Amino acid sequence: MITKTVLIKDTTPGSTSGTKEFFDVFTAALRESKLADEIRLVRAADIGVYNHGIVLKILPDNITYANVQHHDIKRIIGVTLKHGNPIKDLLYQPRAYQLRLVLKNCGRIDPESIDDYIAHDGYRALSAALQAGPDTVIREITASGLRGRGGGGFPTGLKWSMTRSTPGNEKYMICNADEGDPGAYMDRSVLEGDPHAVIEGMLIAGFAIGASQGYFYIRAEYPLAIERVQKAIDQAHAYGLVGERIFGSDFSMDLEIRLGAGAFVCGEETALIASIEGKRGTPSPRPPYPSVKGLWGKPTCINNVETLANVPSIIRNGSAWFSRIGTENSKGTKVFAVTGKVRNSGLIEVPMGTTLRDIVFEIGGGTASGKRFKAVQTGGPSGGVIPEHLLDTPVDYDNLQKLGSIMGSGGMIVMDEDDCMVDIAKFYLKFCVDESCGKCAPCRIGGYQMLNLLENISRGNATLEDLERLRLIAKAMQKASLCGLGQTAANPVLSTLRYFEDEYREHILNRRCPSKKCTALLQFIIDRSRCKKCGLCARSCPEKAITGDKEHGYTIDTARCINCGMCFETCKFGAVERN
Amino acid sequence: MAALTADDLAAIASRIHDQNASWIRVGMSTCGIAAGAERVYAALEDELQRQGAGVQLKKCGCLGMCAAEPLVEVNIAGMPRVIYCRVDEACARDIVRGHVCGGKLLQDYIIDMQSEDAS
Repeated sequence: MITKTVLIKDTTPGSTSGTKEFFDVFTAALRESKLADEIRLVRAADIGVYNHGIVLKILPDNITYANVQHHDIKRIIGVTLKHGNPIKDLLYQPRAYQLRLVLKNCGRIDPESIDDYIAHDGYRALSAALQAGPDTVIREITASGLRGRGGGGFPTGLKWSMTRSTPGNEKYMICNADEGDPGAYMDRSVLEGDPHAVIEGMLIAGFAIGASQGYFYIRAEYPLAIERVQKAIDQAHAYGLVGERIFGSDFSMDLEIRLGAGAFVCGEETALIASIEGKRGTPSPRPPYPSVKGLWGKPTCINNVETLANVPSIIRNGSAWFSRIGTENSKGTKVFAVTGKVRNSGLIEVPMGTTLRDIVFEIGGGTASGKRFKAVQTGGPSGGVIPEHLLDTPVDYDNLQKLGSIMGSGGMIVMDEDDCMVDIAKFYLKFCVDESCGKCAPCRIGGYQMLNLLENISRGNATLEDLERLRLIAKAMQKASLCGLGQTAANPVLSTLRYFEDEYREHILNRRCPSKKCTALLQFIIDRSRCKKCGLCARSCPEKAITGDKEHGYTIDTARCINCGMCFETCKFGAVERN
Repeated sequence: MAALTADDLAAIASRIHDQNASWIRVGMSTCGIAAGAERVYAALEDELQRQGAGVQLKKCGCLGMCAAEPLVEVNIAGMPRVIYCRVDEACARDIVRGHVCGGKLLQDYIIDMQSEDAS
């Protein structure tokens, strides 16, 4: 009869056989103690703890031990496995926990079953909200301190009450699911994993502001999210949770999906509204804000997916419960899509105020390659990079802004020593230049000129004055652009300049790229001593710049080489050097 | 169907909670499907039928550990609830044969997440 299960994982960096070895020793020890039939040992693939030696997790006691040595096995068997008592000095104390509020149901319920959602407290908040009345709902949301999760961080309760207090008998509710930051996919996962939570949030918001029609603005690149949201709307319709006289009350609201064609600027609210109206998706000057004059000229409230997904649990558990989580001015949790050079790419949800270090190293598991961490980029093309010495900053709206980045929608891209900061700045700026709608000159022209300057730097054709020019144009764009896209497009450049100016200078003064990323500054040569004369590099070269044969070896003709780096990538023996 | 009342919610909830306690869930969001979750789901479905195991097979969204997809969570009465990661079709069949029918946890596939769930 099996009574306990022990999960085993060696979390020492680079270790490959530690888990197996420990497993074998433990198995023998169990046999010796005549417990082999009662304790089940399992080698885990991942135990959620990193760089803590051998880690054990004992179930069903839910005890986690870290840095376990072979000589601890006897104690563990005697104290924990036989008597169920924890051993204090081995206990693992996590520095950071995930706290799943928005992602509570994601991966737990069937997103295509409304019954499953209802079984997990679904639509109870809507029922409670309809009974409490719009003023109470707005008061609760205001008191909770919930702020917009799309990036701006505008207080949700204030937005709702502004829309509510604007006179008019026709108002609209819009869910902004036009998630466009490179590497960010929190909203997609919520829509795919728990669509009813967003629908319930939409209905509560619509009730609070006095809307009778709501739109999901979802980008067409998210076919599965669209399919599941549509299915969820249909199911809610069949149950009478969307449509006429919801829960038998006087409140009626319909929901529809509108597809976005994938223009980044359509995440900006005025451009989004234009897009729903069937016009070209370009922003217009604010004020008037959408809460006054929005969709078809009517008062409109636009909330992000994650913001709305927070609403039902706030109504269910009360504003006091929510405002206990997080920091002074940033309440609740935030979902981050941690990607890039990190071991565990994926979605994590942490209370506001968790440090970047805990997010990247404790939960994310550090860099995938084990190479030195360099910086983390937050906020997508509107954000900036945060270098290692600032990793202990607690994440919230205000702190990230102080560091020259923003919270943004939750994209978090981890970069290691192989990433060049000029290259990163170029990537994000290029994104904004591509996505600029072209309506206002500061964004259209400024972005292009800045990109040219960055190109020159990465080719080694720049002077130190160009850095000042970059700062000057950036300032003009920030001040004079029409919408958020242009106002923030320079942020990645400014923040890399702020923390990594020496890297820019190295490119300009010494024509050297320290991370060996800017290929124009590199020279490729074949190291004869390591070359196995296989000829792979010659075949991969698009310019036929590598000559030679299998007998005499190969050489790169530097005059014809275009520095593409293909030979470097293909060589299996590390014989191609780049300097 | 007539419009739901608040009381109906409780009735639906209790009906769902009464269902079979043993189940298998497959992460079927974009991240899971891209990693092959549909093939895994089909393999599980097929193997469950072959073995005649009375276990409910369900689809779910993304648990957040996208790098480790496809993820399969298994809850069999009397055994710890575990999540298997990077599951392929062969592993899916092993889950049914070994874990569901044989009462044994698979070696080298379990992933554990340190997180605190809010109620």
